[in-house]
Amino acid sequence: MERTDCGKYEWVVVDKDKCVSCGYCVEYCPRDVLRMGEDNHPYMAYRDDCWYCDACRFVCKAEAITLETVPYLIR
Amino acid sequence: MSVTRMEADVIVLGGGSAGTFAAIKAKETNPDCRVVVLDKGPIETSGAIGRGMDALNIVSVPGYGSPEDVVEALTKVTEGVIDQECAYVLGRDSLPIIKDLEKYTDRKPGDLFPLDSDGNYKCSFLHPTKKALYLAMDGEDIKRGLAREVRRLGCTVLDRTPACRLLTDENGKTAGVLAFNLRTGNYYEIKAPSVILTAGCVGKFGMPRDGYLSGIYEFPGNTGDAFSMAYHAGAELVNMECFQTNLLMKDFNGPACGYVVIPRGGYGVNALGQKYWSHGYWSGDMFLAVWREFTEGRGPVYLKLDHLPEPTLKGLEKILWGTERTVRGQFHKQRDEDYHCWDSVEQGMEEITLCSGHSNSGILVNKDTETTVPGLFAAGDCAAVPQQYLTGAFVFGAIAGRMAAEYAAKAGKPGKTVDPETAWKDIVKPLNATNGLPIEQVEMKIRTKISQYLTPPKSDPLMNKMLWWVDRIRREDLPAINVCDYHDLIRATEVASITDCAEMATRASLFRTESRWGLSHFRLAYPKRDPNWDRKQVVVKKNTSTGEMECEARTVPDFKWDYPERLEYEYPQMNMDIGTGFVHPQNDFVDPWMEEKYDREGMEIPKRLFPKKGNKKEA
Repeated sequence: MERTDCGKYEWVVVDKDKCVSCGYCVEYCPRDVLRMGEDNHPYMAYRDDCWYCDACRFVCKAEAITLETVPYLIR
Repeated sequence: MSVTRMEADVIVLGGGSAGTFAAIKAKETNPDCRVVVLDKGPIETSGAIGRGMDALNIVSVPGYGSPEDVVEALTKVTEGVIDQECAYVLGRDSLPIIKDLEKYTDRKPGDLFPLDSDGNYKCSFLHPTKKALYLAMDGEDIKRGLAREVRRLGCTVLDRTPACRLLTDENGKTAGVLAFNLRTGNYYEIKAPSVILTAGCVGKFGMPRDGYLSGIYEFPGNTGDAFSMAYHAGAELVNMECFQTNLLMKDFNGPACGYVVIPRGGYGVNALGQKYWSHGYWSGDMFLAVWREFTEGRGPVYLKLDHLPEPTLKGLEKILWGTERTVRGQFHKQRDEDYHCWDSVEQGMEEITLCSGHSNSGILVNKDTETTVPGLFAAGDCAAVPQQYLTGAFVFGAIAGRMAAEYAAKAGKPGKTVDPETAWKDIVKPLNATNGLPIEQVEMKIRTKISQYLTPPKSDPLMNKMLWWVDRIRREDLPAINVCDYHDLIRATEVASITDCAEMATRASLFRTESRWGLSHFRLAYPKRDPNWDRKQVVVKKNTSTGEMECEARTVPDFKWDYPERLEYEYPQMNMDIGTGFVHPQNDFVDPWMEEKYDREGMEIPKRLFPKKGNKKEA
């Protein structure tokens, strides 16, 4: 069995059907957690720097972002 | 290495609450002033109030309180260890910044802040005075309003470009900064005669017990960089022994909402549902009371709201879930918690931090925000105006902006600094290392040590051991950090700052031979307040000749107002009689069996039995 990438666990969830790739969430994340992926949608590049502040969801005009949960360790 | 070289008049290190106000006021003071703002994030969302704030926790406004009332409150909660002039200015200038905030956010009176029937800003009681000094705020958008004003005035904003070194010239004057962009890796060498430190508190200091490095009360970008830069530039720091021992919403580690809830009738109860202390103001005596509840088996403690009227509860949910830490509501829902239950908000004593806004620690400043280094100003959570809260960040940020602009207009160009090339080599070293230590593990190591060895009640042997750890981490770990990119490179600077702050906090704690400020400096070897320490600060600074950290006791500036210099509480007796334990007969110190083994085998461990693959029986 091959080792799977468990590090992909993310709580900032992007609805790629709604996302318009404007980059606002990447631009305004105060902790530089989000980066634009190869598919031109944001992902949590530095997940464990997230302060679960909600800025990404707030600035998303397309309402494509949800904070599905808070980080597991504090949940 | 390509370095962008810039010249400026005023550099603002940290575009948070104090920094944005400083930049605005510097530009308003002198529109020709070249103001550069550096921040780890975008100034629209970075810092403690990126997602808004729900109150100005201390103000004096007409109809409610005077600047003298602010002095009275802060003289009591600092137990007399305060520059009263700073407290007076905090009260005096709170009304102008309220007006400024309404202007920057385009909000009408009565919208951003509540008004009473006389048209005054409506304050509530919270502090140990007979006057109401707490002003609620629906400040969801204030940071974006401030950022818009900074950009409109033409300040140069370098987002995601934190400073990593503060430069001084051969005369010890402020000369500029070195910085780099977290995404592009562009390097900046910015020369300026004045620098304003507004980089926040030491939020990443102790570890939260849930183990999540960023799961802290303060904004995680605030890692004591201003404290450390000021220290190395030769500035003095004070009250580093007065720890912020937060009572937080457990695990979430956001504020427990006490200041929003208490003025509306909520209060803290222990696990038995009993009110355990007379007030909910975040002074050391309240934290001492919480510690007592846990120590005597009546923890956890809770914030009780279930007795409040339904409209009040709904209003609290709107404010608490709509500003500052907006995922608070979701956190409750996931735990099936409901404010209609008395035990819905569990509180815990979480990570210790160093912060002037909520406690007393920081860079020594006077009422004009001057540090002891020429051209270096400080405001907000890194500048030691005790318990100034957000109000102080705005008030003293504004003063710092004006002062720095005026200073820069008179100052000549900065003199010769240390060779930046040497500094750059040191800064980028973690990028060039191979097979070094992961930055998150080094951060976790220093922060867990801080929690284990410094969390009050403070133990002298533990604190002395902490100094051993600081020395070891500095020698062995910091030089061995390896990072992969610029995002993580700044964390090497941050961890070094945290380590510096740990040493300052430890040495100051060992220097103050008494207990004071309740739990914040409850020292077991000196478990009582000592009148010889009244009105005395512990000043920490770097000996510029030896490079060593030094402490001295210094009397605060003369008092102009005669107010009580303590709160109503006592330290507990710590005579914990636990009996004698059993005593077995003495064993011999000499063990022939062990000695014979060593003589026969030396230090080798013989390989006696090997594992075998499969289920084959031993032959």
